[in-house]
Amino acid sequence: MASDPNSPDVSEPIPNPSPKEEERLASISLEEPEGNHVAVSRLLSNGSSLPADFHAEDEIEVVEEELLGEGSSSHGGGGWREISEQDGEAVPCSPSSSGYAGERGSSGPSSGIEEVDDGVTLQDDWVPRKRHDDEDDASVSWRKRKKHFFILSHSGKPIYSRYGDEHKLAGFSATLQAIISFVENGGDRVKFVRAGKHQVVFLVKGPIYLVCISCTEEPYEALKGQLELIYGQMLLILTKSVNRCFEKNPKFDMSPLLGGTDAVFSSLIHAFSWNPATFLHAYTCLPLAYSTRQAAGAILQDVADSGVLFAILMCKHKVVSLVGAQKASLHPDDMLLLANFILSSESFRTSESFSPICLPRYNPMAFLYAYVHYLDEDTYLTLLTTSSDAFYHLKECRLRIQGVLVKSNVLVEVQRSMLDGGLHVEDLPVDSSRRSRSVSPYSSQENNISGSLRPHMGLGGPAGLWHFIYRSIYLDQYVSSEFSSPINNSVQQKRLYRAYQKLFASMHDKGTGPHKTQYRRDEDYVLLCWITQDFELYAAFDPLADKVSAIKTCNRVCQWVRDLENEIFLLGASPFSW
Amino acid sequence: MGCSSSLPARNSGQIGSLSTEGSSVSDSKNLRVKLVLLGDSGVGKSCIVLRFVRGQFDPTSKVTVGASFLSQTVALQDSTTVKFEIWDTAGQERYAALAPLYYRGAAVAVVVYDITSPESFSKAQYWIKELQKHGSPDIVLALVGNKADLHENRSVPSQDAIDYAEKNGMFFIETSAKTADNINQLFEEIAKRLPRPTFHFLTVKPRNLSMSYIELSYTLLWLPTM
Repeated sequence: MASDPNSPDVSEPIPNPSPKEEERLASISLEEPEGNHVAVSRLLSNGSSLPADFHAEDEIEVVEEELLGEGSSSHGGGGWREISEQDGEAVPCSPSSSGYAGERGSSGPSSGIEEVDDGVTLQDDWVPRKRHDDEDDASVSWRKRKKHFFILSHSGKPIYSRYGDEHKLAGFSATLQAIISFVENGGDRVKFVRAGKHQVVFLVKGPIYLVCISCTEEPYEALKGQLELIYGQMLLILTKSVNRCFEKNPKFDMSPLLGGTDAVFSSLIHAFSWNPATFLHAYTCLPLAYSTRQAAGAILQDVADSGVLFAILMCKHKVVSLVGAQKASLHPDDMLLLANFILSSESFRTSESFSPICLPRYNPMAFLYAYVHYLDEDTYLTLLTTSSDAFYHLKECRLRIQGVLVKSNVLVEVQRSMLDGGLHVEDLPVDSSRRSRSVSPYSSQENNISGSLRPHMGLGGPAGLWHFIYRSIYLDQYVSSEFSSPINNSVQQKRLYRAYQKLFASMHDKGTGPHKTQYRRDEDYVLLCWITQDFELYAAFDPLADKVSAIKTCNRVCQWVRDLENEIFLLGASPFSW
Repeated sequence: MGCSSSLPARNSGQIGSLSTEGSSVSDSKNLRVKLVLLGDSGVGKSCIVLRFVRGQFDPTSKVTVGASFLSQTVALQDSTTVKFEIWDTAGQERYAALAPLYYRGAAVAVVVYDITSPESFSKAQYWIKELQKHGSPDIVLALVGNKADLHENRSVPSQDAIDYAEKNGMFFIETSAKTADNINQLFEEIAKRLPRPTFHFLTVKPRNLSMSYIELSYTLLWLPTM
């Protein structure tokens, strides 16, 4: 095997820790070669039974695929449904899975706790649901919910609640406010409170208080990050100038100002369990041939030169191309919040719209004006401007862009890429010497007969590789592999993301970190994280995977991603610095 | 081309074109009209527009964000055609202060309420006052009581609306976007009432207009205006 001189080999920073099962979350920097991990992992009695025995809860419901037309929705729908109806013994609780300890199985105190509206469906199939307006803090069902989010004012007035009717929660809100102000009166600040299985996380933003009450065992940093995003979503709708209303009237009732935005918040909260962008602070691109993305970028650039601040072409949550005016840079969190806002507001689909929105990381005080138009079922163009009367200009720009995109076949390519999906771990090249440009399914026009016929759910990659996420630090972009068996239903996907999220938090822990590598084995996965100056790699393997091969595989993944970077990343975009 | 010139110049140019484009007229037989829909959230503004433009009715409510733009042409019996460029505004309170952006320069304002909701009727009266104060002086105003199919739950008597409309020199009609009742009649009636200018040239509004646009972009859009 001829190894590429540029490719880091196994002796490089990836560590080989001694095989201790308790080694969770421990940071590792050992250089010692391999150990007898296979033997050790056999000790994990449940490790081998993961896929078949995964326990699906009663609460899982089949959601109609109504919102999405043909094509893409059938993708990914099939697999999880079959699995999710299987029964089996509950997997022993790992920290990240305890939430799903089922109602049928042995019941701990958490057995009745539900998280009804997320975790049960794939992103494509998710429809915002009624959020149980009949509930309040006296309802048993309300108390059993696993993860609550609240926004309230500093006078204790409820502004938003994930579950139940805000107005019925006035007393509860006042209690939260009392806790915060009690600590504040002592000249201190409350970050979180632990109460048994529950964690209460507080975030104070001027006159706005945000609170999460969760028994999902997510790390404090992760929950705090989620509250920050919820606050950002609120700013996107109202800007930070809303604070002035509280200056004038401390008892100001803000909840009417968020009227009609429930779907926006519930879709964001749902994203916390399926969209890695919510904790990676990076965005992801739709894989496309380099020339296709270039063509889209060129016409967007054209428009940006005519006074448009940002021109963004996206397909669902993935970026096709985006361009900013000179010196303007777009934060990945703003992109996440903007895409969430557009995708969760159905009215954007019916016709072209022109609305004020604020990008909190760009300027939290001012509105921009967004022209939004869907070019097809999934692909939408967003043009942002500072000028409130630019509608007709932006409409013209859109017509020009649309003309070019149709003529240069970009929209067709986008649709095809949606159907083909992204990187499949099964396609990981066997070794770096055999790689060639043709391994890229996106780089040539005539490929992809095999690509389209590929079964959607694969069987996992080499060395037990199940999934990976690669985040490029300079580009602020990440690429995530498609899910393959056995991570093939949304409950398992959510569990994996929560495991990654935990990994992310421990790697970036300000107290003990930052760390370079982590290798962690539990009954669910082998998780490997590797952070360099250029990238962060998160990979999940079969819990029985051999460590040395897992590490080798990670190197191959990195090489593979670098080989494909022209297709999977947006390169040469305006600098994303802030 | 407007978009290639420098920013400030383009802006002032755009303001002129935004406020006049809507009500400009290509010739006396083919009118182009800017129409704005206003009213409380949930009264069915978007449903009226979608029924008129696409002949569709979607019972699931989709909250409008900012404003949507649609256009539809109607042919009248006297062989004139009227192309409506419709601004379907969001009824949410936070967008109230944004409304002038959409109604300024509009030749027609359709103010919608829900016949089962007295609150929406008072909101409609608020909008009419606002339009009388700040809209174009020759604006054609229509008062529309929507959801007429829900007449068992009616809580705004037709007579109240008729009286109010008469007092304010408006045209009044009750519609149902759900059953399509009176939807086309609404727009045909509006088309008939449009002034038919013999001069095709409309002057650009006074300069101070550009000031108010700039102010607008920094206004707290949600500030309750009632």
